[in-house]
Amino acid sequence: MSFVVRQIAKRADGGDIIRTRTLDNAEITVGRGTDCDIQLADLGVMLRHARLLQLSDGTVAVEATGGIPLEIGGKFVNRADLAVADEPAINIASHRLTLTKGDAPGEIAITAERVIAATDAADAASETGIFSLRETMPSKRGLAWVLAGLVLIIGLALPLFMMGANDLPADMVAAAARPEGVSGAGKLVPSLGGDDVKKAGYSADMVWTSGPLSTAHAGLSNKCGACHTQPFVSVTDSACVSCHKPDATPDHASADRMATGRLPAGGFEAGIHKGLNLPEGRCASCHKEHEGPRGALMVAASFCTDCHTGLSGRLKNTKITNVPNWEDHPQFKPTLVSVASLTAPTFERVSLADKPVERSGLIYPHDIHQSATNGVANMVQKQGLAAGANGALACNYCHTPDSDGVRFKPIEMEKNCGACHDLAFAKDGGIVRTLPHGKPEQVAGIIRDFYLGQALSPRAGVQRFAFERRAPGKLAEVELADLRITSTGEARARGDAAIAQIFGADGKAGGLCSDCHVVNNTGAPNAAERYTVAPVTLASHYLPKGRFPHNQHKTYDRKTGDAACVTCHKGVMVSKASTDVLLPSVTQCRDCHGSSNVATNVAATCSTCHGYHYGEGGQGGDFAGSPHRKPAKPATVAARALPVKLGSAAPVGAKARRAAV
Amino acid sequence: MAGQAAGNANRKASGKAIVRAPREITHEGFLTHRRSRWLKIALFLSALAIAVYIFTDPQPRANGGSVAGYALGTIGALLIVWLSLIGLRKRIITSKPYSLKGWTSAHVYLGLSLIVIGTLHTGFQLGWNVHSAAYVLMMIVILSGIYGIIVYGRLPGKLSANRQEATQPQMLEAIRALDRQLDTAAQPLGKDEADLVRVSLEQTDIGGNLWQRLTGQQPNCGTAKARDAIQALVNQQMRTVKPDPRLTQILFLLERKSAALAQARRHIRMKTQLEIWLYLHVPATFALLAALIAHILSVFLYW
Repeated sequence: MSFVVRQIAKRADGGDIIRTRTLDNAEITVGRGTDCDIQLADLGVMLRHARLLQLSDGTVAVEATGGIPLEIGGKFVNRADLAVADEPAINIASHRLTLTKGDAPGEIAITAERVIAATDAADAASETGIFSLRETMPSKRGLAWVLAGLVLIIGLALPLFMMGANDLPADMVAAAARPEGVSGAGKLVPSLGGDDVKKAGYSADMVWTSGPLSTAHAGLSNKCGACHTQPFVSVTDSACVSCHKPDATPDHASADRMATGRLPAGGFEAGIHKGLNLPEGRCASCHKEHEGPRGALMVAASFCTDCHTGLSGRLKNTKITNVPNWEDHPQFKPTLVSVASLTAPTFERVSLADKPVERSGLIYPHDIHQSATNGVANMVQKQGLAAGANGALACNYCHTPDSDGVRFKPIEMEKNCGACHDLAFAKDGGIVRTLPHGKPEQVAGIIRDFYLGQALSPRAGVQRFAFERRAPGKLAEVELADLRITSTGEARARGDAAIAQIFGADGKAGGLCSDCHVVNNTGAPNAAERYTVAPVTLASHYLPKGRFPHNQHKTYDRKTGDAACVTCHKGVMVSKASTDVLLPSVTQCRDCHGSSNVATNVAATCSTCHGYHYGEGGQGGDFAGSPHRKPAKPATVAARALPVKLGSAAPVGAKARRAAV
Repeated sequence: MAGQAAGNANRKASGKAIVRAPREITHEGFLTHRRSRWLKIALFLSALAIAVYIFTDPQPRANGGSVAGYALGTIGALLIVWLSLIGLRKRIITSKPYSLKGWTSAHVYLGLSLIVIGTLHTGFQLGWNVHSAAYVLMMIVILSGIYGIIVYGRLPGKLSANRQEATQPQMLEAIRALDRQLDTAAQPLGKDEADLVRVSLEQTDIGGNLWQRLTGQQPNCGTAKARDAIQALVNQQMRTVKPDPRLTQILFLLERKSAALAQARRHIRMKTQLEIWLYLHVPATFALLAALIAHILSVFLYW
């Protein structure tokens, strides 16, 4: 009964050192302690780890004595009986004991070897692994590939895959097709696309944006293909006009005139543009997108004067005066009626410096109507008409602001004149008989019928108003005598006389029509056809190429109301004829705008008054839908034919007359 | 020899005991290469870019799409490509067309001038897009490079002082030797004490993870834990009886190992600081090149 112990140790060069001992005991101990039969120099082994007892030939009892179970055949046990014939192995920490039959009978061989190399932290990793980052960090090359790949996928591959044509948002297209009215002046940022942006969503090619789109275009943020229609081709005008129809956004001038008038592009930049086939005068030449909320509309202040400084030198037949800057802005040239007409009035532009005369055909002295002490003021008071602070007729009684507050509604005889000039000519019982305005041929018949009717069937209580001046107290007597008719012939004569008188032709005083109109005597035998009224044309807009928001100028020079009006429209109080042009001159504007003399200096750029996309006429969206827009006429026409005569400044009309009595 | 002779000659001439060494043998770093030639070139380039930016007035506002913008962008892109070529240049051992030192000097200063050129090219417009991504990547590369210059200037001296003439293998060998001594010294110990020694032997990671390398701190280091535990045991024994001399021997070994580890970890910390920026600088450079391709291509795709 003996054990043969073979302990195998590794040499530094890898070879084995085998030491063999024979122990003539039936029981041997295993452990780290020096007193053990099999000593294992392994700190994982207990000082006395196990005991082996040879039971009979071929069987060994194994018992753990150090309190740590032994690993035998994959199981952890505290004791076991092992058949040596099976050549069992016992694992103790890093060591393994293998039992085999010995050479001699009754002899058991135990092979003890270290199966897990001794722990040596320093040996576990190489020098580079410890001192450099090579084994701690992923490789630089790997990182470079991953990062570069990621950038290429997100920044190039996905957008390339996603790019293409886009549908245009319907609400934006509709908004772009609406012309911009005069009220748009000064408010050039359309607040469009707000909701569109929210629902814009993601598109891979959005990473290619070079900056946020303007507010108006924000709804296209995820629709790059709406404008960028062709790869490697700069955005073309066709993309712009697919929404911005020329109807709503007219060209500044026709393409050929623009080409002639434009400042010839020179220098380095122009050369590059030419080389890259980027023509001048594209939409995108001025409207730079991806420049933030106001981007597309940000245009340099010098943008206009660049061309308009020396425009006449390039565009030889231009009618526009050169404008180098605001200080040298030419005097206003209002568009004035040169020939009034019911159908085809003509206009001409005359500088305020050239003593302009307007030939509207209307007789209207502003001074009388602005007096605070005369019969007009009396009528204003009696009828309760809108009056200014001093009791005179208010400016806005006739000049009524339009809904935008920029300009004024057309003047209408019935509305603006009729309260005083009511065209009453007779009284029949309680009924005041009036003549129709604008129908001179009807007027003569009505007057004649009135006298004939009175001759055939005279009625009491019928009274014909007289308009001529009389001595006080005699008026009623004259009026009664006028209707004492004895024959139809007398009625006819009286009627014809009344027609002549009411029309006021031939300079006869007391005419109704001739108060405001020029009446001509054609000499026709029939009195109904004898008198014609000269046509009247009122310009609706004297400076159609500019926009002056009156509602922003209600206060001027610390004055308000009518006082503010006449501060600029200086001649109003003394103007005796409607041929006077009462517009303020450009120097008036400079009092506040762009002047360094006043504390209230207000900046003035060209776009303060002018618009670029307002067509050649400059009116732009003002006349959208009106027949005057396309032929680019400078003003609308308010022409009326009116009856009656007289050129005196006396108060006229039944009411006016009655008021004077 | 020639330098020494010149030194002697200088000493004779000046009569001073200490004389500056002749120019040929003083070390000239890449920052001052050729009297800072590339610094001057880079400053000139930056000043030129600023002048171009100031004296051109693009409408409606400055951006990369103006003439000046394209010019700056072209210069910037060419610079970026050239700067990234240092990766190839340093692998070629030659003194032409420029010494690697000269090349590095140019790399550093021209790279720094890109801050000016690149920023002006943006026109100070940044957003969530591939163009700004390229700019941000460029700035990451440049800033990591600036960090690199700083640590290259400051750390090698400290690194050398910390090594105290020991080489890296010698540092490792010192730790290994202590481990072997600990293993031997622990053999007679009981399980609990032996287990403590095993903690030091088996749970000590010299380098550690990236954070531990950068800070040089390993609070859970096995050796520190073992040392503290055995110190506690020794202290406990000292209160009653004379401490077990085998334990005091182990404690002595563990303290020596801690000191050796601390030195190695200081070394590793500085080495890590010297290396770490390249793990940003190099991959970000390649990402930048990719972003540059996407940037240039996309600008003209969606012109």
